[in-house]
Amino acid sequence: MARSASSQSLDHLYRFARNKGAVLGLIIIVIVFAAAIAAPWLIDRDPLRIVYRPEIWPFTNPKYPLGTDSLGRDILALILFGARTTLMISFAAAFTATILGVIIGAFAAWFGGWLDEVLTRLTELFQTIPNILMIMTVVAVLGQTIGNITFAIGITMWPPIARLTRAEYLALRDREFVLACRSMGMGNIRIMVTEILPNAIPPVIVLGSVIIGSSILFESSISFLGLGDPNVASWGALIGDGRTLIRRSWYICAIPGLAIMFTVLAMNLIGDGLNDALNPRLRDR
Amino acid sequence: MGRLLEIEDLRVTLFTRRGDLKAINGLSLGVDRGETLGLVGESGCGKSMTSLAIMGLLPTPPAKIVGGSIKLEGRDLTKLSERKMQAVRGREVGIIFQDPMSSLNPVYTVGFQLAEVIRKHFRVSKAEARKRALSLLERVHIPDAERRLDSFPHELSGGMNQRVVIAMAIACEPKLLIADEPTTALDVTIQAQIVELLKEIQSESGMGMIFITHDLGVIAGVADRVTVMYAGKKVEEAGIDALFSDARHPYTRGLIGATPKPDDERRHRLVEIPGVVPSLADLPEGCAFANRCPLVFDRCKTEYPPLETFENGRKAACFLAEEMEESYVAPVRA
Repeated sequence: MARSASSQSLDHLYRFARNKGAVLGLIIIVIVFAAAIAAPWLIDRDPLRIVYRPEIWPFTNPKYPLGTDSLGRDILALILFGARTTLMISFAAAFTATILGVIIGAFAAWFGGWLDEVLTRLTELFQTIPNILMIMTVVAVLGQTIGNITFAIGITMWPPIARLTRAEYLALRDREFVLACRSMGMGNIRIMVTEILPNAIPPVIVLGSVIIGSSILFESSISFLGLGDPNVASWGALIGDGRTLIRRSWYICAIPGLAIMFTVLAMNLIGDGLNDALNPRLRDR
Repeated sequence: MGRLLEIEDLRVTLFTRRGDLKAINGLSLGVDRGETLGLVGESGCGKSMTSLAIMGLLPTPPAKIVGGSIKLEGRDLTKLSERKMQAVRGREVGIIFQDPMSSLNPVYTVGFQLAEVIRKHFRVSKAEARKRALSLLERVHIPDAERRLDSFPHELSGGMNQRVVIAMAIACEPKLLIADEPTTALDVTIQAQIVELLKEIQSESGMGMIFITHDLGVIAGVADRVTVMYAGKKVEEAGIDALFSDARHPYTRGLIGATPKPDDERRHRLVEIPGVVPSLADLPEGCAFANRCPLVFDRCKTEYPPLETFENGRKAACFLAEEMEESYVAPVRA
């Protein structure tokens, strides 16, 4: 029986849903997204404002269910608005890295020769620089804004995407359908974008979801080290601020720590699920 | 108006680390409108290189056209820019490759891929392209064409896919169709159907066709004329009947002897051609077939026999071509 395009995507959905961990991950991410979107309606004030006495423990004051931090800021507000910052930066950074990596990898593999040589060396060069150092340097030079942090993470994370894309393009480049496309009169860019890319993209999407997870960690690390954007709430910054009080009021670090942990875990679970859905050959290992 | 396709003294060399390999060494051939030229030879004799050279799709590096011309209606394709060549490919010259399962992009429906080719060369709306795609599928006799438009290549059989590939190749009504071993990857029963389809399309459209194969049995049913290639050179050219009844080159006779004939009452053994094609890296000074030829003599080893023209425009490159008896049959080696 012939299956239509929509039933093929149903197939993917089915394989994704069969992975219980992936569904759990998706639920967590949906909750985080919902929190991020709803934040301004739930909390009608600047989350960075001091609202009460410092160091109120969670579940003791119904007005501030997650308590207050060392400065007297509402932790619930910081977590909700922090979700905005974290998601925005990590998704945008992973997107930047994926676009950069795909373009570099695709050009290297398709045109080969000296271009491949130059781009592959460039990729390797970037991989030798410790990621966190690179991000810190770029943010320190450009300034501590959300845009610059996103850019810094994006240009640091592309090498694995580029290498994967290059490998996929190399394998697909010599397939007969590519020759057939050329024999129909299609040009290089046309074939690279509309013919090869859809075949090469599934493993790249899987890796991309893992890179979103790492971007969350990098964003938090940068904020923890005090290099984040000082004008927005951030989970990493909250941990950094609470770190001196860890013996007395450990919840200040623990709550954003759990938020980071669950979000990154959820992203990785989704990555596994996408792998099952998009690379069925690897599924039954 | 001259011939549709005129290849003159084409030379293609592969520049590799092992040295320069002459993949095509001074090949000349011509195809008229409405004519089918069979191109026959063993693997590695330069058949596919020839078709890729016509399409301007030689893998460069290492392959490069180092001499000669390929003229389509008088225009030399070897001198066209890549941009102009893209307008020729698919529009004026179409090609069908060997393996239909891998010639189609697995992520798109066949209807989409057909419409894509049509829209590449004609300015038509998506709906119009789909309509044309549908009529193309009907033209290549795909049953239930309307529904097949939305099928993916992996949902169709090899024979069906080859029909789709043919539909794509003729989508823009090219003047020349190159069929590069179009039946090799298919079941025998499907082979005959595909050959019939190609013949039918050709007689309807009047295009010229180059039919490449290593199977003389297939060529007998389609070609008007046959060019036999060996080690990058043409060794014989003749009308289809003359070739089978009265081949002038020992290699051609060997190929005919190695082809099973189902209607032959006597169940005689198939005769193989002993030895293998010489490596392009060290072609002999004389005739490239000398080391396998049953009729070889001293002159063959030092001098390459020129391609001579005989009656009815037939050609052969063998010193013995003229005196070869009609009754001659390739001898069986003990």
